[in-house]
Formats: sequence, C-alpha cells, structure tokens
Amino acid sequence: MERGRGGDRWRPPRGRHRLPPQVVARSQRERLLEAAVRVVAEKGYGAMTIGDLTKQAGVSRTTFYELFDDKERCFLAAYDNAVEVLVRRVMAAYEAPGEWPERAAAGLAALLEVLAEEPELARLSLVDIGNAGPAAQRRYRAAVQRLTPLFEEGRDYAPGGRGLPANTSRMAIGGVTGLIADELVAGRAERLPDLLSDVFFATLVPYIGPDAAAREVERLTR
Amino acid sequence: MAGSETRRQAILEAMVRVVGRKGYKATSVADVIEEADVSRTTFYKHFEDKHECFLAAYDLVVERVLGEVIDSCDPTAPWLERIRAGLATVVEMFALDPELARTAIVEVAAAGADARQRHWDAVTRVTEFLADGEQLAEGRELPANIGLMAAGAVSGLIFDELLTGRAERLPELLPDLLFALLVPYIGPGAATEEMRRAAAG
Repeated sequence: MERGRGGDRWRPPRGRHRLPPQVVARSQRERLLEAAVRVVAEKGYGAMTIGDLTKQAGVSRTTFYELFDDKERCFLAAYDNAVEVLVRRVMAAYEAPGEWPERAAAGLAALLEVLAEEPELARLSLVDIGNAGPAAQRRYRAAVQRLTPLFEEGRDYAPGGRGLPANTSRMAIGGVTGLIADELVAGRAERLPDLLSDVFFATLVPYIGPDAAAREVERLTR
Repeated sequence: MAGSETRRQAILEAMVRVVGRKGYKATSVADVIEEADVSRTTFYKHFEDKHECFLAAYDLVVERVLGEVIDSCDPTAPWLERIRAGLATVVEMFALDPELARTAIVEVAAAGADARQRHWDAVTRVTEFLADGEQLAEGRELPANIGLMAAGAVSGLIFDELLTGRAERLPELLPDLLFALLVPYIGPGAATEEMRRAAAG
C-alpha cells in the first residue's frame, strides 16, 4: 500500500551533495520516525527489526545507530512526537474562549481531524493496542489523562454536576473511544471528522442528559 | 475416549485460560495443547493456527456470557430490571473468572482487527439486548450509535479495572456501570437515582 505522506516528502539527493549535515540528519531522522509508526502498525512492535526501519526509511544501518540507540528509542520517539502533536492541537482548540460545549466541540473536532490525518497512530492507539507494546500503551494512557479536562469540565458546567459519579469523565471517554474505534475497525479513518456530532453527544450526555445534548449537537455541529 | 467435538471444546477452553493468564501475544500453540492435554496433531486437525483457534474461542466466550445474561433476565420484567440483572451477571462472571474476563475484554485487543471487530459486535449486542432502545428513549430521537456509546463507556470502565488486575473488585463498580449504561438514554438525574438504588443494594 502506498501511503503518500512520507513518499512525497522532499529527500536530499543521493550521493555527494552540499547540504549541511544537520539538514540531512534531520530528514533521515524524520523518515525513520515515520517508518517506525508504519512498521509497528503493520507487524507489531515485537516483530519490528531495525532492518525493517532502515529499509522503509531508505537510510543505512550506520545512520540509524548515529540517530538512535535501539529500535525502541526510535519507535517511542515517533509515538511521543505524534501524541504530542495530537494533544497540543486538541488542547489549543479546546482552550479557546467560550462555554464548555463550544470548547469541547472545537477540541473534539481537532481530535477527529488529527486522527484522520494519522490513521496509523489512531489504529495503534485505539485498535491494535497489542501491536504497540507496553511502553506505548503507558504513553497512550498518559495522553488520555492530559485530554481529560475537556471532559471533566462538564462537571462544573452541568447543573447537578457535583452529584455525578467520580468515573463520569472515564465513561465519556469510553463512549468517544468506542465510536472512534468502531470507525477505525471498519477501515474508515478518513471519515472520522463526520463522527463529530455523535462524539460530541457522547461527551455531553453523561453530564447534561440526552435532551440538552441533542440541542447542543444541533446548535454546534449541524 | 473423548470424541472429536469434546477435544475441540477442550482446546477452546484451554485457549481462553492461557490467553487470560499469559496474554495473547505470549500464548503459543504448545501452551494451549499442554493445557488442553491434546496432541499437536489434534490441534491442527481442528484449527489452522493460533489466531483461528482464538477467534473460535472468543465466539465461545461471547455466547457463554450472552447466554448467562439472557438466562438471568426475566423477559417479562421491566427494562430497568433486566438491565440491572444482566449487568450484575456480567460483572459477577468476570469477578469469579478473571481469566475469562481478561480474554474477553483486554486480550482481544491484542489479537488483530478481526478479533477487535468481534469484541465490538459482542459488546454492542449485550448493550442493545439490555437497553431496549424504544422503551428507554421514551419517544426521544436518539443518535443511531447510542448503543455503541453506552457499550464503550461500560467496557472502558471494565477494561481499566481488568488491566490493573482488579477483577474481583468489579462488583463494587456495578452502580457506576449501571449509570454509564443508562445515562445516554435517561440522563444524569434519573441515572444517578438508579446508581444510588443499586449502591444501596
């Protein structure tokens, strides 16, 4: 399968060239990071070899070891990068001015966009969890923690918020995750942004109930 | 001498045990035949490989859990009674048999996309069976995906407990699980009432 993004990227010309060495190294590093996510998504973390990475990225084994100590460092650097981009984009959208429903809708829209742009990361985090390995799973859980305020703020917004179970944000996250995973399992990552109204409903409903949630969905996502 | 079907059944049971104990990735065909006390030849007579055997074992788990849920629910009882009874059954089964629970909820995620698909199908079936949409919605127009939201919320909570090795504490979580399952349909006020009633016993 051809996955355009990496392939279209500019590469330094092969052979002798006059690019500054740090530019070359940077591009090689990025190609290795992309290769790592791709290879792990395809065959699982356990089965990935350094040979897979150097072949995918088109770099030599020597170059690999100049940039990374081992395959785990390379994959985790890639995973951390991708997760960092995701969390920042979601939280930047969420931290705009406005009331909770507006900001939650903006954050969720950003989440679905990033996941649609990074289907391999999405599948690795939410579907083929077993492929990612325990270290990446811990990072995934830490990322979910950082996104929790987007959900938990519903407690302050909702009239009876204080009486809600302590687990309410985990329920909302579970509902959202279920919807996204279902779409990914069906191979429709590119259509994730269309899920916004359902994902938004699932986020609101434990805090404000189905009637108010449906009204907000109508108002903000249609 | 045990019949072919009995041996197949023994292999499936063994697969559920071993995967629940060691995890899907670490489980080998050798582990499974040792646990089932059958020969390698017998294993390959019934299954192509570990993955195919796991999928069949997973189907067995789903039918067993669903069967228990259906048996525990009086079909003439009001929906809320059925939900309470059915959810309590799932939670008790998982608490009594953490290996089954881990295979059903956690390890299935490690077994590839088709296993994951079976998991979601099963969870949605359980939820839809419990939450008879029309009665719950009371004439509201609810999102078509609402069963999946409820299922995701419930299975997410159970997943977290199992992942941290707290299967035996699942029954304590029952009131919260009931809230999670009901809230998309009836809202937080009514769901909180039900949660309190469940917590009071």
